[in-house]
Amino acid sequence: MPFAIEVKNLKKSFGDLQAVQDASFNAEAGEVLSLLGPNGAGKSTTISMLSGLLAPTGGDASIMGHSITKEPEAAKSSLGVVPQDIALYPDLSARENLVFWGKMYGLRGAALKQRVDEVLEIIGLTDRQKDHIGKFSGGMKRRVNIGAALLHKPDVIIMDEPTVGIDPQSRRHILDNVKALNRQGMTVLYTTHYMEEAAELSDHIAIMDRGKVIAYGAHDQLIKMVGEETRIDLTLNTDGEKVLAAWKATQGVSQINSLDGKVTVLVDDSNRVLPHLFEEASKAGARITSVEIQEPNLETVFLHLTGRALRD
Amino acid sequence: MRIIDLTLKDLSQIFRDKRSLLFLVAMPIIFTLFMGFAYKSGKDEDAVQDNRIPLGWVNNDPGGVVSQELFEMLSNSDSIRVVELAAAAANDSVRKGEVAGVLIAPAGYSEQAEAGDDPQLTLVTDTNSAQGQSIYQLLRTSVTKVMSAMEIARLSAGMTGKPADASELDAAFASASRAWAEADSASLVKVELAVEESFLGDWYGDNPYNQASPGILVQFAIMGLVSSGQILVQERKTRTLQRMMSTSMRSWEIIAGHTLAMFGVVFLQIALLVVFGQLALGVDYLRSPLGALLVSVALSLWVAAMGMLIGAMVKDDSQVILFALMAMFIFSALGGTWFPLEVSSGAFALIGKAMPSAWAMNGYQNILIRGLGLESAWLPTGMLLVYALGFFVLAVWRFRKMDM
Ligand SMILES: Nc1ncnc2c1ncn2[C@@H]1O[C@H](COP(=O)(O)OP(=O)(O)OP(=O)(O)O)[C@@H](O)[C@H]1O
Ligand SMILES: [Mg+2]
Repeated sequence: MPFAIEVKNLKKSFGDLQAVQDASFNAEAGEVLSLLGPNGAGKSTTISMLSGLLAPTGGDASIMGHSITKEPEAAKSSLGVVPQDIALYPDLSARENLVFWGKMYGLRGAALKQRVDEVLEIIGLTDRQKDHIGKFSGGMKRRVNIGAALLHKPDVIIMDEPTVGIDPQSRRHILDNVKALNRQGMTVLYTTHYMEEAAELSDHIAIMDRGKVIAYGAHDQLIKMVGEETRIDLTLNTDGEKVLAAWKATQGVSQINSLDGKVTVLVDDSNRVLPHLFEEASKAGARITSVEIQEPNLETVFLHLTGRALRD
Repeated sequence: MRIIDLTLKDLSQIFRDKRSLLFLVAMPIIFTLFMGFAYKSGKDEDAVQDNRIPLGWVNNDPGGVVSQELFEMLSNSDSIRVVELAAAAANDSVRKGEVAGVLIAPAGYSEQAEAGDDPQLTLVTDTNSAQGQSIYQLLRTSVTKVMSAMEIARLSAGMTGKPADASELDAAFASASRAWAEADSASLVKVELAVEESFLGDWYGDNPYNQASPGILVQFAIMGLVSSGQILVQERKTRTLQRMMSTSMRSWEIIAGHTLAMFGVVFLQIALLVVFGQLALGVDYLRSPLGALLVSVALSLWVAAMGMLIGAMVKDDSQVILFALMAMFIFSALGGTWFPLEVSSGAFALIGKAMPSAWAMNGYQNILIRGLGLESAWLPTGMLLVYALGFFVLAVWRFRKMDM
């Protein structure tokens, strides 16, 4: 089966900064692919190239078989993009916005009206359609922002962090939308730095960091990368450099990461290593004030791969 | 079709904003009135005592009875003030604007006229100016009258059957001249119009708004650069431009849609000012309605396209205003919207005359001041359209390179 999205050695530099370096990944038709990475990983830059806003410095990509560099119009016409920032006219109503964007996607007359009604239904704003976007809450704006990308029933939809900074209710609504759209056959490229979202939605996940795709696979495959490792989250009563150094030297510890007094440690066997951690702490005169043992998750994978936490 | 949809969206946004309407309509009207008063009071100061058009008189036919008759006729005119000049001073006097034109009677003028020839007077003036036109018309009438009187005199003298001697002829001529003083007959002689130097004098004709109205109109059309430039900045700020780029709209279509919207706004503003000028200020744009329409359409397109270029070059609103103000000063001042270009000279005037704003002024003034028709609008319209197209192409080119 041909890929709905094919990304091959995509590069983008801004002066000296290589925002995207040789990114390659594919999305099969009908799947949800998540692009997971921390701030500044290069997710939005990748998406900007896919949606024709930025010209790649190198490499190529295709949407439904159409190269974004050689046949951009064809590529764009099977693509719906939900930008990271709200991209709507604040002085127009929700309906006016949708009608306008529908026209930009080539819809007209009765078909346009019907589709706008459908989309308003999907995003749950039928009763607020006459209100100006400027008066909407963040969550409602996000929903219209998504709606505008659905009007022409694209084969592929790209969403760039559509749930950033909104209330849990709107977030739930959006995640359910994504699943529903995918069930209808849309291929979704979903960008996020919330590993829970990536885990819940995706068939495949590409993890990005510092402009590179550092891992790719289904959720369970990625978890297996960390092997038998367990993650332990601890807090200390002091920010003890000495303690951390001692823990690092402890047998069975593979990674250690500390941020604002919270320490994350990757160990091969928590039962065996944990007593040593307490021991080293008391030797250094520090006290562990909380401890939590985590099942391996995407956060663990990222920590394992980069030595850094996903959200820093 | 999508281009028009984009245009209509822009227009509906603009017309929803009451402030922009105030700026587009009320401000230019107030300024037109203000500038009109300024021109008018400036004019009144030196013209209040004598409204007659100054005409230089160089007589190379001293003692000639016909030239003398002509001189007296002109001197008694209500509309012409005759200033006797030496031949050498004539050109200078026209150039400095001391007189609106100079009438030169050649040597032997009276003699030739008496002999039945058609001798020619020379009028040095700018036939494109309102005063030049008036003088030409006045002279034609006067000279025709004098020459017809001459003809009558010759004929009546001839009827006696013997060659008339000079004194008889002169007497007959004097009486015929009086008899024909009020007569209005077809032109019997040609007055050659030699345009050597343009004159300044009362350039804008009898109505000071002939300069003020199109001047303000062009200047405010250029002010449209601010709104026009802001469209792209605004679309980028609301990120709708980025969304637009992710649709299959091409760059030139996006620019064309916005350009057309701004064209509509600027054109509407011009139309309102034309109507206001015509009805309230007596500025006769509708002398050639089609000509005024052509110039207005081309002017609006130029401003809209140039605004797009500014929008595609800048980062934010303050830069738009900076660029637009710069453009406004350059195009308004050099292009003759503040003062007639005829005031300036040399390189300044040369550059000025090439400006699109000058072509616009030229187009309007051909109709308003020079009293010309539709055909006089073609060249200014064409030049403005060339500028519009040039700026449009530049805008699309810049837009393609723009960093989103
Ligand atoms: N137009 C630009 N000019 C210069 N640098 C840029 C530009 N756009 C992005 N960058 C830089 O490129 C890097 C990647 O940015 P990008 O926005 O793609 O990250 P991201 O993964 O989307 O992050 P976030 O989660 O914060 O949205 C960052 O270091 C950013 O500062
Ligand atoms: Mg981003």
